[in-house]
Amino acid sequence: MNFDLDQDQVDAAAGARQFFAGEASPAQARAALAGSPLAPGRGALADIGFTGITVAASDGGAGGSLLDLAVVAEQAGAVLAGPSLVTAARAAVLLAGHPELSAALADGSRSFAVVDGERPALDAVDADTFLALVDGDLVVGGGQVAVGQPMDATRGLGVVTLSDTRVLTPEAAALWARARDVALVVLAAEDLGTAGRAVEVGVAYAKERHAFGRAIGSYQAVKHSLVDAWVGVEQLRSLVWWSAWAADRAPDELPLAAAAVAAFAAETLERAAETCIQVHGGIGFTWEHDAHLYWRRAKVDRLLLGDATEHHDVVAGLVLAGALS
Amino acid sequence: MDFDDTPDEAAYRTRVRDLLAEHAADLVHLDAGEEATNAAEQEQALRRTQQVLADAGLVGVAWAAEHGGQAGTLAQQAIVGQELARARVPALINHIGLGMCGPTVVAHGTREQHERYLTRLLRADDVWCQLFSEPASGSDLAALRTTAVRDGEDWVVNGQKVWTTLAHVADFGILLTRTDPERPKHGGLTMFVVDMHAPGVTVRPLRQMGGQSDFNEVFFDDVRIPDSERLGEPGEGWRVALTTLLNERVAVGGGGNDLGLSIESLARLAAEKVPALSVDRQVLARQAVGRAAVAALANRYTGYRRLTAISQGGLPGPEASAGKLSATAAARLVSDAGVRLLGDDAVFAVGTGDDDAGRWQRNQAWLPGIAIAGGTDEVLRNIIGERVLGLPPEPREDKHRPFNAAGSAR
Repeated sequence: MNFDLDQDQVDAAAGARQFFAGEASPAQARAALAGSPLAPGRGALADIGFTGITVAASDGGAGGSLLDLAVVAEQAGAVLAGPSLVTAARAAVLLAGHPELSAALADGSRSFAVVDGERPALDAVDADTFLALVDGDLVVGGGQVAVGQPMDATRGLGVVTLSDTRVLTPEAAALWARARDVALVVLAAEDLGTAGRAVEVGVAYAKERHAFGRAIGSYQAVKHSLVDAWVGVEQLRSLVWWSAWAADRAPDELPLAAAAVAAFAAETLERAAETCIQVHGGIGFTWEHDAHLYWRRAKVDRLLLGDATEHHDVVAGLVLAGALS
Repeated sequence: MDFDDTPDEAAYRTRVRDLLAEHAADLVHLDAGEEATNAAEQEQALRRTQQVLADAGLVGVAWAAEHGGQAGTLAQQAIVGQELARARVPALINHIGLGMCGPTVVAHGTREQHERYLTRLLRADDVWCQLFSEPASGSDLAALRTTAVRDGEDWVVNGQKVWTTLAHVADFGILLTRTDPERPKHGGLTMFVVDMHAPGVTVRPLRQMGGQSDFNEVFFDDVRIPDSERLGEPGEGWRVALTTLLNERVAVGGGGNDLGLSIESLARLAAEKVPALSVDRQVLARQAVGRAAVAALANRYTGYRRLTAISQGGLPGPEASAGKLSATAAARLVSDAGVRLLGDDAVFAVGTGDDDAGRWQRNQAWLPGIAIAGGTDEVLRNIIGERVLGLPPEPREDKHRPFNAAGSAR
């Protein structure tokens, strides 16, 4: 057993960290709430090759594994980057075997969004090509996007009315399910990055802020909340790696791993973001501080692609059917 | 990244399975769903089981050959653990010796001590216990008050230890004592190997809240220990104890194993009970099972990361404390989901019976103890907060003061 990243993945994560640190930030996530464009944006993500990590090399992608993509997605999450690599990963699964569309995903010449019925779709705001499951068939086409006042503008959520669709793959329910599981894994990977950063920010402040004559991080009440959030982040990392690995190497395990990581990510990010605010006290409740941007991401992501209740039920169903025996 | 055996590991696993099959008649086995029982009731059979396994080369797999081990890898050791569980062989009787005392003797003992103890420990010729906690010093271990006073070539020990697992069957123990009350509390401690059959050692089993007696109080009245049984230098006892404690936190939960009844046990119980519930109750039961399974999986895969790090040459660090913390949290969810599935049976049969009700009730009554033993949840959070996250410690007013100064030794 070797449950660790390989050197290429460690290097890729470091490279991605550097890229995202220069291209995106919570400040830009805040500006996006007032209508500024997303950072880094689709073009930059395509140019550096991140939208094509899991697209086949023959179709202009990198032909990488989902784990390769997950380590990059974690870094995207740490700076609240948009649009989401969830869309890239999910579309790559749905478009496999369609070279032109796959190439357009990898090179950014088309802007995809994946639509789950009438639910708000991730990255729909600036998309021009939509993928959806209609009557059991995978369809591709255009659409009208209705946007609301965004809670987290980096998610680009919109409700899509499809138009001019054509069937890309008939009877695609199994493909759709796999793509959705892959999306859950990458969403969790982004949440891992966000949660990890929220804990870091909280820990740094707890070392610096003094009350009653000493750093607040020395008080067990503060220390233990940060520790619980950190332990959650480290456990989430394990589930992200396992579920991403399973997507490529043990597809039978993917449904269990994807539901488990999705449930765990939703609750871990929420706790990390809430803890970050509470450790900061009043300043953490202000518009100027970054804490609410992590919190916004948490409050939105926990409801995308199903909530923890749904995922726990999926896990229970699989466990009752013998998934662990 | 992979979870498969290498060809070498696969070959090793086959060999382990063959050995376990070959010696099956000489090993204690659990029935399906049964958990390990009180060591005292089956002491001789459990000692024999470990002896057979040791002679087959399946104990101390990763220990150095000079210490009686097999000089194998930690991956091989993990394989043996998995195969023992698969064959339903209960925990080795000398698990405290193997997990905590042995590594401490290896790290701090003399060559003579290595030769005297380690091979016998591996074969359970001697069973070991760990004599650390006292009535007035649990989490604040360094405040302990059992004294050892030098007298010629011996030390004379007086005091009391408590919560000592296996003391009632143990032959030897590692004993942490205060040898210099003039020094600050961490600096005046010394570790010894003590013969549990020596005159002046009195062991009294304690009855736990669930009714079982796994642990004891141990009294020392003018017990003489030769200086040659000292582990480490006088005054170095705290450093020696840290070796034990780090190994303890890896042994308990560090590898991502379930504590108490496993998630697989819950899955079996749930598959039987859930379909009989009303639809509304099924929804709630499935939430509890799902949540417990996710917690157990998160703990399990985090343990795999830790095992990978250790097998690549890393030492168990303070992060290992997180393993016990999360294993305990997962165990609580598993336990509660299981007990609730018992329905009205959950209010009867506390601590008795080999049926589901008895098993899950005993498990429930055991978990509060596991959250305390080997570092309470709060102590583990302090360790992670201070040594991993770098948060400042709470003021410890007695830390630098002589132990016997006012306000320290009460």
